[in-house]
Amino acid sequence: MDMKQVMKDYFLDLDQAARDPDRKVAWCTSVGPAEILRAMGFEVFFPENHGAMLGATRICMDTIPTANAFGYSPDICSYLTSDVGAYLKGITPLTKAYGIESIPRPDVLVYNTNQCKDVMHWFEYFAREFDAPVFGIHPPAHLPKVEASHVADVVAQFEDLIGLLEQIQNRPLDPENLRRTCALSKEATDLWAEVLETATARPSPLTFFDGTIYMGPIVVLRGTEIARDYYRSLLAGLKKKVLAHEAAVPGEAKRIYWDGMPVWGRLRSLSELFKNNNACVVASTYCNSWIFADFDPDDPLPSMARAYLKIFINRNDRYKEDYIRKLVDEYAIDGVVFHEAKTCPNNSNSQYNLPARLRKSGIPAVIINGDLCDLRCFSDEQSSTVIEAFVETL
Amino acid sequence: METSAKMNGDRFYWGVDCGSTQIKVCVCDGEGNILHKRKGRTLFPLMEHVRKTLAGDESALSPLTDDQQGVKENHTVVATGYGRNHIEFAQGKLTEISAHFLGAQRLLQLDVPYTIVDIGGQDSKVIEVHDGRVGQFVINRKCAAGTGAFIEELAHRLEVRLEDLTELARAHDKDMTLNSYCTVFSGQEVIKILMHGERLENLIHALYASVVQRILEMTSISTDTVVFSGGVMNFNPVLLDLFRDKLPGNQTVLIDDAQYCGAYGAALYASGLAEKQAQKFSQSEISAKLATQAEHTS
Repeated sequence: MDMKQVMKDYFLDLDQAARDPDRKVAWCTSVGPAEILRAMGFEVFFPENHGAMLGATRICMDTIPTANAFGYSPDICSYLTSDVGAYLKGITPLTKAYGIESIPRPDVLVYNTNQCKDVMHWFEYFAREFDAPVFGIHPPAHLPKVEASHVADVVAQFEDLIGLLEQIQNRPLDPENLRRTCALSKEATDLWAEVLETATARPSPLTFFDGTIYMGPIVVLRGTEIARDYYRSLLAGLKKKVLAHEAAVPGEAKRIYWDGMPVWGRLRSLSELFKNNNACVVASTYCNSWIFADFDPDDPLPSMARAYLKIFINRNDRYKEDYIRKLVDEYAIDGVVFHEAKTCPNNSNSQYNLPARLRKSGIPAVIINGDLCDLRCFSDEQSSTVIEAFVETL
Repeated sequence: METSAKMNGDRFYWGVDCGSTQIKVCVCDGEGNILHKRKGRTLFPLMEHVRKTLAGDESALSPLTDDQQGVKENHTVVATGYGRNHIEFAQGKLTEISAHFLGAQRLLQLDVPYTIVDIGGQDSKVIEVHDGRVGQFVINRKCAAGTGAFIEELAHRLEVRLEDLTELARAHDKDMTLNSYCTVFSGQEVIKILMHGERLENLIHALYASVVQRILEMTSISTDTVVFSGGVMNFNPVLLDLFRDKLPGNQTVLIDDAQYCGAYGAALYASGLAEKQAQKFSQSEISAKLATQAEHTS
């Protein structure tokens, strides 16, 4: 299956849904309860995906300053400022990519603060703009361990959310729909996990940078047959590459772990930089964040609550350290690059001594300063020097 | 340190450290003996000034072919510094971190763990060396505070010539603290302090102290020996005094002609002597790397 076509079909259908009075659109955070929304018959739009597109196309460099001038600080989430700025300017990368005039108007906005609180401010802004209802899931945060009480708390919030969605759709949730959607999500996420695991092969058939592209459907099409079928096809192709020893980085000599957000506007140059230094970024916190092993169609709400509570970003530092160590071992990592994103402290794990702790136990680690979207916070020269020197010294 | 150039039949190894303010060039023979060092300003078009620096005056040894477009057969050129990717004819490149390490390792022959502090024109680096290999290293964060650019910026604001800074700082009679976080904040603070009638000498001393503070905030120095490299340390001896005050328990060493340390490291890398010095790059690894880099740049 062609990735570009999958994403094109998704956005065109979303655009049609937004124009069709009989269909409803929900906005959802990227690790929010998309399965509930889909099971309730909503088409789902993910503003973070839009933020990443604004970053990758570098359109954000025009839109972030607009949001800053409007009153959103340059120090807060640059997905938010990219997206709000784009809205204020009346532009979207969807126009050039798919001929779509604007982002789909929401009938409801649902965020989950399992990743950060900026999504709350972001969704509340658009709820005001579109005069649409907004619902926030506020789970217990930064957990060392996910307990039954945490799960019960989130399940109760899911039930409240379902009540709101039933009012909007004027019909009750069909439990079979939820079970089926959860099953499709589970299949897709398990396949996504297998896709990423192909990088344990030496040489690796894919890089983190490939992963940031391949991950599109697991973010925006969870709970659909399309996502499942796409990852089946992708996995089959990657397995063939593994058997043929086809390397994503020819001459792969060093294997790197990437922690933190991608620098969306520099995916290509960073990919080339590692490649030219015979280093392959084989694993990342970021791509692994869409592995939800806990989904269970026979126990949808509690299993979804567990899965969305368990994500890396919602865990304490000890968990994160153990997680990275485990992947360093499994993927035979030579060194860890921490991307300290200026506007995303919640997904920057270098600020509380973690790199130093890894180094102390013999795992080389280095920090680059940058940002997910805001390239004003990123120095190509300095980052290249740090990465090249790091690879030289491994 | 310079000796007369050996001529035909010998091989010559060149390191070009293309920094933000200066192009430093060092050429050595196969034994790592330094034959020439020279420098020029980093001006633009860059390649014109790199060629000019490499060619030296008419009688100087040069690696360049007569048309200055390529490198003579018995010469190898390796580039380092921020401009390393732009030296079109260089057969190899490596980062300043590795270059300063290789230079310092060869020049000082230390067999103990040590930390290199390299203050450059636009960035500063702290590099830990253990067992003859680079361990961890850090480069200053986004702001220019703690770099040569910071000193230049504030000297400019104070209308003081760079060559007068040392004498003025040494005439200070009071220790003051300046913001070490941000160049703009520091600049604003300087103006405010001057408005209150503070002596210029005290301000300049505080400016140097803030550079030292900024470097020491980058990472905790864990080795007994600290080695200073880079042009800024070379031309601002007050910095060494201040580091010695702040690191009373450490042995501190300023590399001779410290601004050439990176260029020398690059020349050593070119000659393959790095292997003996660092036990880090083998000769075959260097050859393979040079070949790969030539492929990428072609």
